[in-house]
Amino acid sequence: MLAIGGLAKRFGAVQALDGVTFDARPGELFGFVGGNGAGKTTTMRIVLGVLASDSGTVRWQGRPIDADVRRRIGYMPEERGLYPKMKVGAQLEYLARLHGMDVATARDAVRRWTERVGIEARIGDEVQKLSLGNQQRVQLCAALVHDPDVLVLDEPFSGLDPTAVETMSGVLREKADAGTPVIFSSHQLELVERLCDRVGIISAGAMVAVGTVEDLRTGDSTRYDVVGPPRGWADELAGVRVLGVEESPVGPRTRVELGAGADDQALLAAATAAGAVREFTPYRPPLTELYRDAVADHAPPRQEVAS
Amino acid sequence: MSAPLSPARTVALVARREIGMQLRSRSFLYGLLLTLAIFAGYGLLFSFIGSEGSSSTLGVTAEARALTPALQQAGQQQGQTVAITDVDRAGGEAQVRSGGLDALLTRGPDGFELIGQDSVDSTLQRIVTGTVGQQARDSALRSAGVDPATVDRAGTVGVSTLVPEDPLRGQRLGLAFAVAILLFFSLTSYGGAVAQGVVEEKSSRVVELLLSTIKPLHLLAGKILGLGAVGLLQLLILGAIGTVGALAFGVLTVPTAVLSALGLAVLWYLLGFFLYATLYASAGALVSRQEELQSAVAPLIFPLLIPFVIAVSVLPNDPRNGLATVLSFVPFFSPTLMPARAALGVAPWWQVLISALLTLGAIAVMVWVAARIYRNSVLRTGAKVSWREAISGR
Repeated sequence: MLAIGGLAKRFGAVQALDGVTFDARPGELFGFVGGNGAGKTTTMRIVLGVLASDSGTVRWQGRPIDADVRRRIGYMPEERGLYPKMKVGAQLEYLARLHGMDVATARDAVRRWTERVGIEARIGDEVQKLSLGNQQRVQLCAALVHDPDVLVLDEPFSGLDPTAVETMSGVLREKADAGTPVIFSSHQLELVERLCDRVGIISAGAMVAVGTVEDLRTGDSTRYDVVGPPRGWADELAGVRVLGVEESPVGPRTRVELGAGADDQALLAAATAAGAVREFTPYRPPLTELYRDAVADHAPPRQEVAS
Repeated sequence: MSAPLSPARTVALVARREIGMQLRSRSFLYGLLLTLAIFAGYGLLFSFIGSEGSSSTLGVTAEARALTPALQQAGQQQGQTVAITDVDRAGGEAQVRSGGLDALLTRGPDGFELIGQDSVDSTLQRIVTGTVGQQARDSALRSAGVDPATVDRAGTVGVSTLVPEDPLRGQRLGLAFAVAILLFFSLTSYGGAVAQGVVEEKSSRVVELLLSTIKPLHLLAGKILGLGAVGLLQLLILGAIGTVGALAFGVLTVPTAVLSALGLAVLWYLLGFFLYATLYASAGALVSRQEELQSAVAPLIFPLLIPFVIAVSVLPNDPRNGLATVLSFVPFFSPTLMPARAALGVAPWWQVLISALLTLGAIAVMVWVAARIYRNSVLRTGAKVSWREAISGR
């Protein structure tokens, strides 16, 4: 397990990270979401040791992470980068060897991964001659070629075409199923929701929510959709706030939020009293909504500290 | 399988990549050919200038004809062949204008006149004025009843040296010249390659991927060692071609002098390269794009150019020049000046040793500074990082 505890980092006057804490467990895909400048990239850079944190810890299997563990991480930086004039195969082999692989294993891994992402035909071409999409595939190979124990990928899906998104999702799922913790950041919340086992939402340098999408929903299970009773049935109920009403084929759909102390059974009774109830379901907000709420609830104004 | 890499293996892997990329690139071969062409060009130019200066053509009119034998004799004494043609004034002027004659000697109302196209070669001018003055003096002495030969004898100054004159002086000069040029080109081109390589990694962003698995110092060391080795290879190839060529054409006759000069050139290349590579790497780490690199490395040309100019312009006439001697001990200047002085035979071994040790000391300091600058700025992109920020790490 990769455990990140209380990371803090300040750049000049800006507190970029302010106590970031979460963990990524073996066999799980961890989605790391947050706005621009929320601290995703800074966190990942600190995990990889490319940046030093001001305080906080990064632990792998319970021990503080060191160069030897970092060597076992597969990393895709936000700023994609490969040697433009180096051939795909030679480049991947070089990177694999820098991670400590011997020549034969490295060559074997290069062949396997280029085949897996479908660029085996371009192995002898210079990287700069490849299309942007294919360069991204090489970049993914660069993160995977040394058979890492952990994957840390910064925006791996940005700029990918739909087929490449499928390839990427497939590869990440495969790695996770094989027991490798995979952390990746993304702006594409539907993708994160579909793909990830757990999600961490970061805002202004602090984690505002961590858990499975299901956890995040039920942790906030005070919203219900009631279909059937006529419009306005819940307007006067004590402890209940109406979030919205829309028409559905079987009657009006009223979305309500229960206040503190309000009871869902009392709500149901009130609904049945108002009219025939066709549906009564806890509302499961999509990640987009959870994200918006989490960020809105917690986002303090970015701390500006005089240096 | 996969095992942790020792620092030495990491550095070796990085260096091997640099060597492979350089040797495979066209620029290595082209650089080699270009340097050879420059050397050959210099050789041709000097022999051309040499042959051009040693003879001149002079037209004389009937009034000046009496000077012809004395002019030819004076020309021989100066090591200059003066071809003299009898012409009339108008025809002579026409030939000077067309370039057929270097100058025309005639007699005007107030004495002799030397007419050139837009200037008169200074040697020819000296020969003619000397001869005319001599003639005037001789005839004045004769009319006063004194034998000019007696005066000449009384005015003769004999020149001799306490130590026998070095018969190989000309060859030493050529060697010093070649060594200075070779070092200057090697240091600027491979120092430049280091800066280029650092910026390439920065601008292509691959550096973040590399530094997520290896240390900045190892990456820097591998790059400098790899490029230094390629530069050394080029230096040896050029040195070998130059030595064989010079011995074959009889330009140089003493293989031992050539070999010791080449040996010193290699030593000083290594010292100079490591010293300058640190500077070039730091300059490269401060900028993010190739376009900004030129202005960042431009100041580095001065400490390289100054000793080079001294080596090729001051030392040939004045091998024991005080300023050159002092500068040849100063790190950054010594890599070009000391081997040039050594090739001229004016630097005893202990001077070379002291200067080499001083340079080694400077390298140690510079490696520390450069590693710091590199570590602090190699991951920073965007605006150019200032030297002060880079050193302090703020």
